[in-house]
Amino acid sequence: MRYVVTLGDRRLEVDLGSDGRFTLDDRAVAADVREVVRARQWSITIEGASHEVTVVTHDPLRLDVDGIDLQTSVVDERALRAGGTTGRVSGGRTELRAPMPGLLKALHVKEGDLVEADAPVATLEAMKMENELRAPGAGRVARIAASAGTKVEGGALLLVIASD
Amino acid sequence: MIRSCHDLGLRAVAVYSDIDRDALHVRAADAAYPIGPAAPRESYLNAAGLIEVAKRSGCDAVHPGYGFLSENADFAQAVGEAGLVFVGPPASVQRALGEKTAARQLAREAGVPVAEGTERLRDVSAAKDAARRIGYPVLLKPAAGGGGKGMRSVTREEDLAAAWRASTGEAMTAFGQPAVYLEREIANPRHVEMQILADGHGRVVWLGERDCSIQRRHQKLVEETPGPAVDDPLRARLGDAAVRIARAAGYLNAGTVEFLVDPSGAFWFLEVNTRLQVEHPITEAVTGLDLVGLQLRIASGEPLPLAQQDVVRRGAAIECRITAEDPTNGFLPAGGEIALVREPAGPGIRVDSALFVGMTVPTEYDPLLAKVIAYGRDRPEAIVRMRRALAEMRVAGIPTSLPFHRSVMSDQTFASGRYDTGFVSRWKPRLVAELSDGAAVAGALGAVLFARSQTIRMTSPPFDSAWARAGREDALR
Repeated sequence: MRYVVTLGDRRLEVDLGSDGRFTLDDRAVAADVREVVRARQWSITIEGASHEVTVVTHDPLRLDVDGIDLQTSVVDERALRAGGTTGRVSGGRTELRAPMPGLLKALHVKEGDLVEADAPVATLEAMKMENELRAPGAGRVARIAASAGTKVEGGALLLVIASD
Repeated sequence: MIRSCHDLGLRAVAVYSDIDRDALHVRAADAAYPIGPAAPRESYLNAAGLIEVAKRSGCDAVHPGYGFLSENADFAQAVGEAGLVFVGPPASVQRALGEKTAARQLAREAGVPVAEGTERLRDVSAAKDAARRIGYPVLLKPAAGGGGKGMRSVTREEDLAAAWRASTGEAMTAFGQPAVYLEREIANPRHVEMQILADGHGRVVWLGERDCSIQRRHQKLVEETPGPAVDDPLRARLGDAAVRIARAAGYLNAGTVEFLVDPSGAFWFLEVNTRLQVEHPITEAVTGLDLVGLQLRIASGEPLPLAQQDVVRRGAAIECRITAEDPTNGFLPAGGEIALVREPAGPGIRVDSALFVGMTVPTEYDPLLAKVIAYGRDRPEAIVRMRRALAEMRVAGIPTSLPFHRSVMSDQTFASGRYDTGFVSRWKPRLVAELSDGAAVAGALGAVLFARSQTIRMTSPPFDSAWARAGREDALR
């Protein structure tokens, strides 16, 4: 199976054969790979050089490679053929989701309001701090999906902005 | 705190809220008692419940830690009235210094400069009037507060109402009262604080400063001593000012006098933290003292075992506060389960940590996870050791501030020592990492193995082991 991996600003193509061999950008890689923590951490030596890869978070995927943090994406060939990954924005509608669980202290907008990008639209209290959540895009508030004074889960839809 | 108790041969009793049952402090202590549900108001801020546990478990003294009730005069008083020793300044001192506008008055009378400001403000329109008089930018600060909680910087009148809402709201949550006041914001200041110790026999000493300028929203992220902008004469002036304030207040036990220092070396009194600071280990590193141990000795009535001339400072120390916050996403706090931890060690490294594998990081409390402290003979050595320690450290399962701290230790401005409290707001997540070719290959393989582990787990587990075995065998040839 062929994969396209982005690590920070780098893009690499990895082929993993059914025999477990890797090729990278069509060159064979002599790597000794040990999974030291299941699905979390690998010790990888390549021609004597010792590396360690740790999955810091799944979603979004973030790797720690030898003490360097990297925003990472992996797309396999099937997904590539299907047109890649989908985003949160579609048809001029932008969603604001709770970035973490907490208490939705206040909504500063109501349905129908016009907002500018980055305008503070809600206050979420978590970890003893009030966090101003900002509009992810400019437009009209098409829908309010949560009410002030309630607890929300991380990732919960708070409001939708339509950019007309 | 528990470690210092044990070093002195004292038994330590911990308390925990329902969600902290698994916490490390529970396991490190000799005894541990539940104190209530997760919500701080019903557990760690429940003074009556805490005192009841202290009496029931046979404690002699109560150490309030840092945060929660550590600067609450009513709590200090209630502890004393219950026949227990409070490890910290008495209620009268906490009242005199804990109310920030009263503390400013006391400092003025002791001949220490303070920034222009107001008394407690009645409402947002009073704040507007005061801000116009003083001139923007201004700071809104909780009158009962400390440690930067609820503080808001306001640069334009349009933003004042929102800042007022946030500041009074957070003041209510953190300190149980919404009162705020306002003061002039000093441009490009450094946040420098002076550690003091005062015993019950009239002796007050200062142990040197800590520069805490690397802050985000007035929460400290990196602290160091000596302060890069503090020379011997300024250190002596700050020490003298801190001791004058302590004497004027009749201070007892450990405390920290905070100052803002501008690029010219002028300074203004900020506030007194009537408790131990989170960052006290860097002072311990350069003085060789155990501040918690000294707190306990002072609380038991012993005289300080050292005079000012006995305070010897050697080398330099830095602390990084590793928090459950995502620096690549506006430092948003993140809760979740810790999947993996490796803490650094080696020459000059100390780690005070709450981390363990399987820990659920609660969103109810402060996001501090661990403190990494590096000591060196001088500042460059401390930085090199910190850089190495942070590169060694692994935390997985939730995003942490590690990427931020790693980048600070390689930052030219930090290395030069010429940074101020605006450092974090000017900091940009560096998405383009300097990755060697070998590390990039390893990272790409790791990413693929991770992706495989996710799909395989969902579809056919037997293939996983067979494939992994094949991969290992192949690689071993």
